[in-house]
Amino acid sequence: MFTRGRIGSVVALLVLVVVMVGCAKRPATIAASAPAPTGAAGATGSPASPSAPASSTPMQPSTSTPATATPTVSPSGGARPVPRDFTAIADLKDVFFDFDKYDIRPTDAKMLDANAAWLKSHENMLVLVEGHCDERGTNEYNLALGERRAKATMNYLVAQGVQANRITIISYGEERPVCTEHTEACWAKNRRAHFLIKPR
Amino acid sequence: MKRLLAASLMLLLAFALAAPPPSRAQGVDVYINITSGGTKKLNIAIPEFTVTTGADPAATGKLLASIAGADLTFSGLFSVVAATGAIPADNAAALKQSWTDFAAAGAHAGVHGLLALRGSRIDGEMRLYDLTSPEFRLIASKKFEVPPDQSRRLAHKIADEIVLQFTGEPGIADTKIAYVAGPRGAKEILLADYDGFGVRPVTRNGSINLMPVWGPDARSLAYTSYKNGYPDLFRAFPFERRPEQTLAAFVGINSSPAFSPDGKTLAMTLSKDGNPEIYALTLATGTLRRLTRHAGIDTEPSWSPTGQQIAFISDRAGSPHVFVMDADGVSVRQLTNGGHHTQPRWSPRGDVIVFTARQGTHDLWAIGADGSNPRRLTAGPGDNQGAAWAPNGRHLVFQSNRLGAFQLYAMLADGSSEVIAVTRGSTEATSPSWSPRLP
Repeated sequence: MFTRGRIGSVVALLVLVVVMVGCAKRPATIAASAPAPTGAAGATGSPASPSAPASSTPMQPSTSTPATATPTVSPSGGARPVPRDFTAIADLKDVFFDFDKYDIRPTDAKMLDANAAWLKSHENMLVLVEGHCDERGTNEYNLALGERRAKATMNYLVAQGVQANRITIISYGEERPVCTEHTEACWAKNRRAHFLIKPR
Repeated sequence: MKRLLAASLMLLLAFALAAPPPSRAQGVDVYINITSGGTKKLNIAIPEFTVTTGADPAATGKLLASIAGADLTFSGLFSVVAATGAIPADNAAALKQSWTDFAAAGAHAGVHGLLALRGSRIDGEMRLYDLTSPEFRLIASKKFEVPPDQSRRLAHKIADEIVLQFTGEPGIADTKIAYVAGPRGAKEILLADYDGFGVRPVTRNGSINLMPVWGPDARSLAYTSYKNGYPDLFRAFPFERRPEQTLAAFVGINSSPAFSPDGKTLAMTLSKDGNPEIYALTLATGTLRRLTRHAGIDTEPSWSPTGQQIAFISDRAGSPHVFVMDADGVSVRQLTNGGHHTQPRWSPRGDVIVFTARQGTHDLWAIGADGSNPRRLTAGPGDNQGAAWAPNGRHLVFQSNRLGAFQLYAMLADGSSEVIAVTRGSTEATSPSWSPRLP
């Protein structure tokens, strides 16, 4: 009974891996520029929330096949580079984000220009862009926010001429802060995109 | 006293008839209406359980009576009348004298627990008496059997049966809470009894594991883990020797899992198509359906108990707010305005959605599923967030840093009860998910 159950589970697992896991290829195209920095305040603005709304770009055309398409069959995560193979390098500086925002600030754009220039002059390097959040906010939302920060950073680099297929992004949400004090100075350091590289 | 109780029972019964109890209530007299606020509590006496067979060096009889008493107190429906000493076994006169004393002390009902402590198992019996009736009428009796290492569970089952007898719906003491524990960068998923006892690991991979949610059969947990480097979705079977499954490992985030009430579909957040969007995965076929299509963040799906609607979070109107859509992704409507709202959790009763509002710190709020009557449930201290519903739709577990590090706390969902600590660990405890009633 136990053995049979186990075999059944293994079969089920294999089926799941084949059927569900996949689409490890990145989307064929990406939006060519960072999201517009601001959007209309809208009728839902509240005195309780004085901060400007997050960027509100027009409806983004789908950049890949519909989700209902059969996922690409591939080994689990096979085409994704291993994050721990990447290492940080002093030449690539972090960029930082305003609270609850994921648009690139003008001052950080200069930083990203320098990062893009470095990457363009080191064609043999792949880059991993990590998106991070401060500890405020909720885990689930911060995971999405970190993803948007990494994506906005990637889009900016691509707009500067870095090949999209050299860039991988990952969100750590609020899980990997560089600073652990509960202060705005510390939170500001944690709201960042961080760069790591590895040779092709 | 008796006349008073009779009058109040009739009143409560009238309420209960107005809001019919669930189908499991068939054949059970409903004394307490559990949906209306301000319920008058029933005084219930729980003397130490009587050990009829076996030695009891660990004072199991005393322990289980106290656990069942704590369960009934937590239910918010009962006030437990203190007691010392067990009623002797097979002694009708002693039993009658005991109930006479408890009735004089104000008890409306009495619980007599009987235990046979055997090496291989514990047999328990619960006998429930109406102390307002002249002859102390036996209302109900039920037998239970548990392995010797699950004695606490026996007390929980007895408490749940008592709640069933008085309300028409079983209690929620025989449930588990899964949660995330550990410092940032090294978080594992644990599970514990609903009262925080019996902690055991679900994951042990040394990576970052987040957002556990129970499947509706109480057998499996879906969660996000970085164990393969990226935030992917997995399913673990904590009570079985069964390997975990990979549910989604697409490029980008694979997060915020939410099982449909029938367990056939998993809603989740994927960013594989460019930005965080909500998808529905049919588990049997692996068919993936995209439900949201917007340039902003769409995440945190939460199913209505009918499975026909999904609440979620979107920042499409600026800051994140609670939205509701039909389960096929159409008829999107915005439920909350202003502020910064995340973590929508649809009540198993269907009428209310609890969410987290940020105004400097975080607090729990509730809003009608139709957008009516938004109201605050907590007002500090510290942050109060990440709520999860008990299967009865009456209690919430949530995380709070009111005493420093985040720990789990529970309370009645209308915010009317005292807040009770569930975890007291040395590391942070966050992201609770309350299991369905165990089979």
